[in-house]
Amino acid sequence: MQFTENLRLAFASLAANKMRSLLTMLGIIIGISSVILITTIGTSIQKTLSNTFNQIGASNFFDVYLYQDYDYEDMMSDDFSDEMPEEDMFTREMLDRLTETYGDHFTPMLQQDFGNATLRSVTNEEFSVMVTGELSPVQDTLHLRGRTITQRDNQEKIHAIYVSDLFVRQYFQDETVDPIGQTVDMTLSNGSTIDFIIVGVCETPELMDKLYAPGTSDMEKTSNVTVPLDTMLDILHQTQEPMMYLTIRWNTEYDPDMLQDELQEFFEAEYAEKPGYQVIVQNEQIYLGMINSVINVITIAISIIAAISLIVGGVGVMNIMLVSITERTKEIGIRKALGAQNSAIRMQFVVEAILICLIGGIIGIILGIAGGMILGFTAKSLVTTIYPDYAQMIAITVQPSVPAILVAVGFSILTGVFFGYYPANKAAKMDPIDALRYD
Amino acid sequence: MSKNIISMRHIIKRYFIGKPNELQILNGIDLDVQENEFLAIVGQSGSGKSTLMNMIGALDRPTEGTYFLNGRDISRMNDVQLSTIRNREIGFVFQNFHLIPRMSALKNVEMPLLYAGMPRRERLRRANELLEIVDMADRGSHQPNELSGGQKQRVAIARAMANHPSLLLADEPTGALDTKTGRMIMDLFHQLHQQEGTTIILITHSPELAQECDRIVTISDGSIISDTGVTADAVH
Repeated sequence: MQFTENLRLAFASLAANKMRSLLTMLGIIIGISSVILITTIGTSIQKTLSNTFNQIGASNFFDVYLYQDYDYEDMMSDDFSDEMPEEDMFTREMLDRLTETYGDHFTPMLQQDFGNATLRSVTNEEFSVMVTGELSPVQDTLHLRGRTITQRDNQEKIHAIYVSDLFVRQYFQDETVDPIGQTVDMTLSNGSTIDFIIVGVCETPELMDKLYAPGTSDMEKTSNVTVPLDTMLDILHQTQEPMMYLTIRWNTEYDPDMLQDELQEFFEAEYAEKPGYQVIVQNEQIYLGMINSVINVITIAISIIAAISLIVGGVGVMNIMLVSITERTKEIGIRKALGAQNSAIRMQFVVEAILICLIGGIIGIILGIAGGMILGFTAKSLVTTIYPDYAQMIAITVQPSVPAILVAVGFSILTGVFFGYYPANKAAKMDPIDALRYD
Repeated sequence: MSKNIISMRHIIKRYFIGKPNELQILNGIDLDVQENEFLAIVGQSGSGKSTLMNMIGALDRPTEGTYFLNGRDISRMNDVQLSTIRNREIGFVFQNFHLIPRMSALKNVEMPLLYAGMPRRERLRRANELLEIVDMADRGSHQPNELSGGQKQRVAIARAMANHPSLLLADEPTGALDTKTGRMIMDLFHQLHQQEGTTIILITHSPELAQECDRIVTISDGSIISDTGVTADAVH
């Protein structure tokens, strides 16, 4: 007997008892939709985290920490102090040696705040800026024109300044002016006024706007400017403070595992003469991997619990198939009298059970994905209302898990076969004479 | 000389074998039916005629004895073989029509063809042709509950004829119908017998209906007590 005929029969049978079919499917729908919902939430959280990490540029950085090991005797002595001597900390010389040894493998991300400075615009209005010194750009996603601060600016103590388009509006009072190469005088926090040449412009981060009440004029805002760190230190007659923590960007053209080993070896060599210190190199992506694997475990665990409801649904299908077969005993008798083989009867009812489970499964998948999307949008609007400042950094992404959907479809069919086989076999083995006589 | 369609030798049927309530329903039936006979099997209820009918219709196997249908011993066949025999060799007509509810008349007629593995297009053509024979061509799309008793029985007869069976087995086919409709169904059987050359076995408890047939076999207490034999005019 042809499969399409069985399918047509099964559809007709389900259509004849719509309410009952729907109620039977309910168990399967709930089971499948919870599994899909949970896996959708799981993969969405992972996707959101990795997108957010990528967006804030945290994906190709190593964190380097310096720890001091204390032994028991040290800690018990009277002059014990847990403060690390400055001469033992990370120094600029170390970073210079790192760059000398490994060239373009690593870029140290040194940044130092130099507080506010004031300028006078071309129309002689005063406005203030926040000055940050850096070795090389931490983030260049918003770059508009010109160039960013380079390590050469630092080495040659060039009076370069990298500004935002807000700064251009503030200083020139005119957005159409080409600011590259223009010299500006900036009064620093120590009172001295120094001249800087504008080398590049970036877009003002959207976050800036959210810091000010709507309607605030440009001149009232404080824009950020970046200058070479060493130039600034030179101007202020300061030296780089020793550090216990470093952020080092790695070149994505190389294998991160190899780079991590290089960095670890380099700092171990630097501290070989100073026992009692430990250098730890970590990659932010390791955190992401750890979080992902935790989420995976949780998702799978909850999915298994949700899948238990599938068994309940399957038993419901089995129950209704048994009822259906009892009701249709006479039909089974007639079919047998007309020459239906046991296998044909069995196939008819197995296909019917599979169809119930498959339709239930598909409805469940749709509901699960829809539920995931609703949750995603709710989360998005919650984040936007509660943390407006971070809203654009957190890239909430709803992504249904494709393998979970495939597994769900397969599992629905399997449930149909498993829980449909026993009733179908019962129908197939009916004695035609008894079945015909059944009322 | 016509060939034997049915050849039964010493058919015995027992139930509850080996138990204290063991019951012997058929006590060694010998029966030969030839091609194109119109035969009535008559008996009171409890005489064993239903059991004999199940046996003839390959719904059941005898406890003892041999049953040749069209030269094949079906008394020792397995379930799959028996369902094929029922599908190809036997057409059942029941007292209560036994159409499958919620399926159109056409679909009901198609069913034996479906189990015979006939392709869809051919199946549809044959089913329409069958409805034509029983004069139900315009009711093909009707559900059984939209048909009268006589119409249902016509559809059932069309279904029984589907795979050109060697034998039409009718169990009280007019039992659930009024006299007038019953008459029409009987006329249809006569028509099939004469025009299509179908071999028909009519199981009935009504002597009047039996009188219309060419040959009457009477059963009582599981044995044939009289057989009018093959009438000369039955053999064309």
